[in-house]
Amino acid sequence: MKQFRSMAYPYVAWISVLIVIPMLLIIAYAFTVEGTAFFQGQFTLANFARFFSDAVFIQVLLRSLRVAILTTIVCLLLGYPAAYAIARAGKRSTFLILVITLPTWINMLVRTYAWVGILQDDGLLNHLLGLFGIGPLQMMYTDFAVVLGMVYNFLPFMILEIHTSLSKMDPSFLEAASDLGANRTQAFLRVTLPMSVPGIVSGITLVFLPAVSSFFIPKLLGGGQYVLIGNVIESQFLTSGNWSFGSALSLIMAIIIMLSMFLTRRLDRNRGIDV
Amino acid sequence: MKHRWLSAILGGTLLLSLLAGCGGPGTEFDGTNKSSGNSDTLKIYNWGEYTGEDLIDNFEEEYDCHVIMEYFDSNEMMYTKISAGDSYDVLIPSDYMIERLMKENYLQPLDKEIITNIDLLADDCRGLDYDPENTYSIPYFWGSVGIVYNKNTVSRDDLEREGWNILTDTKYAGRLYLYDSERDSFMMALKALGYSMNTDNEDEINAAYEWLCNVNDTMQPVYVTDEIIDNMINGIKDIGIVYSGDAAYILSENPDMGYYCPDQGTNIWSDAMVIPKNASNPELANLFINYVLTYDASMDNTETVGYTSSNADVMADAYGEGGIYEGNEAYIPRSGCEKDEVFRDNEVLRKKLSELWIKVKAK
Repeated sequence: MKQFRSMAYPYVAWISVLIVIPMLLIIAYAFTVEGTAFFQGQFTLANFARFFSDAVFIQVLLRSLRVAILTTIVCLLLGYPAAYAIARAGKRSTFLILVITLPTWINMLVRTYAWVGILQDDGLLNHLLGLFGIGPLQMMYTDFAVVLGMVYNFLPFMILEIHTSLSKMDPSFLEAASDLGANRTQAFLRVTLPMSVPGIVSGITLVFLPAVSSFFIPKLLGGGQYVLIGNVIESQFLTSGNWSFGSALSLIMAIIIMLSMFLTRRLDRNRGIDV
Repeated sequence: MKHRWLSAILGGTLLLSLLAGCGGPGTEFDGTNKSSGNSDTLKIYNWGEYTGEDLIDNFEEEYDCHVIMEYFDSNEMMYTKISAGDSYDVLIPSDYMIERLMKENYLQPLDKEIITNIDLLADDCRGLDYDPENTYSIPYFWGSVGIVYNKNTVSRDDLEREGWNILTDTKYAGRLYLYDSERDSFMMALKALGYSMNTDNEDEINAAYEWLCNVNDTMQPVYVTDEIIDNMINGIKDIGIVYSGDAAYILSENPDMGYYCPDQGTNIWSDAMVIPKNASNPELANLFINYVLTYDASMDNTETVGYTSSNADVMADAYGEGGIYEGNEAYIPRSGCEKDEVFRDNEVLRKKLSELWIKVKAK
């Protein structure tokens, strides 16, 4: 295997230039005094103090976590049955996977803009509801619109991950389960579900991460008053020009994400062995 | 002052900057690839959807050069790039940002030998306070900030009596759009309270903050950016805070809409062309500025974009009989209201506002 090791070098170079160096810059900015000027050199904890001393920022953070968790749960509830059905669809599953990934061929921003047209007060959905004498309902600029936008954008990740782990499963396990007298529900709960936990965990990771830091979905579907942590970070860089505070926020976010990933991974390991 | 097609532009610039970052200087790529055979390139940094349909093509043809246009969607975004050392030949930022760029020594004086068309400028946008001799800047578009309202559902009496305070009149709760910009929002709050929008008095700023919080808590406003244009045309809400140029367009598309600038005063703004110190082709940049000032180019700009031209004749003709904005009350910014002000660069205010604005919205 040793002779293949050098093949990873391009990737190592790639991540160091595009991930490690920016991360180091973020850390450096987060601990220096405010501004966009590169390193005024003074060490400070003021950026973190500002975050923790102001209830507004904590509120924003909690709101972001709430929206991301809600999105993840909805994706899981919708995604698991879909992935299960696809994995059991035999020959047609390749086609079904194509259907799931089809929307991702189109740019995410454009797809999200489309929802504006569908959800707005005089939009498509309200016209349809109007035919049945309902509405018009205010759907834009609500929690509903934001969570819908996120679920729509991130659901394919959940389905693909769970599908991968389900389709890798050897069907003889299920045959063995039924030989031993398990009914279908028991077989699902005691064989299929535990074996798909790795897929669920990576699905949760792939949905939760972008959901918690997304800034354009809340901006488009939630309006400017729908402030999530991603929006605060964006505004620190693009309008306030306070890169240091923006970096401190990103760093706090990164730590929270790392912690939650660590916890999910543990769940994965425990479940995998226990059952 | 225009942020339409934010998404497309954002995506485009991201891709461009990625490519530029990888390729280094000399491999600029903008998809048109018209530059073959000619080394004269003019690099412009401008708002999205802010130039006339044929202006760039005509300029390229007339001066046998190649124009690269990149877009920003806020002055601050532009500033960030300039302060990081990016080189452009012409920038088109707003007044207060030009003042800041001047103070911080980013600009070079214009060549008045080349820019002979300066005499065509309208009086109201010549020699503004931030650059009294037009040493560094030539206005491109200008206008005011006001209230677009539905004439059928909003009473003009209420508007005239309450001015900006109509935004606190609960009769209109749930029926208004605010522009998601800290400057414009604090401008109207400060004006509603009778203060200067360039104040650095903390008590006045805090009072404005309370005013905005009150609007936020009692009026269920929706904070939008350029969606406001289409949404007001479709009459989705009854009141919107809009730049006059966008208002002119809204009024021309939906005759139910009117435009009103409160007597409490408003912001008279201008976006102007400047040449940064590190421009690689200052001569062509000066030629371009001179070209924009011509009647035909300015007319093309104002017809396409809808903002008020800085060229006096174009302004008069577009508003006058047979003009594209004939009698449109939003097209000509008012002059003579003593309480109207121009934004000045003010570091205290700048920092305060960005902090307070998040709090207003996130509450």
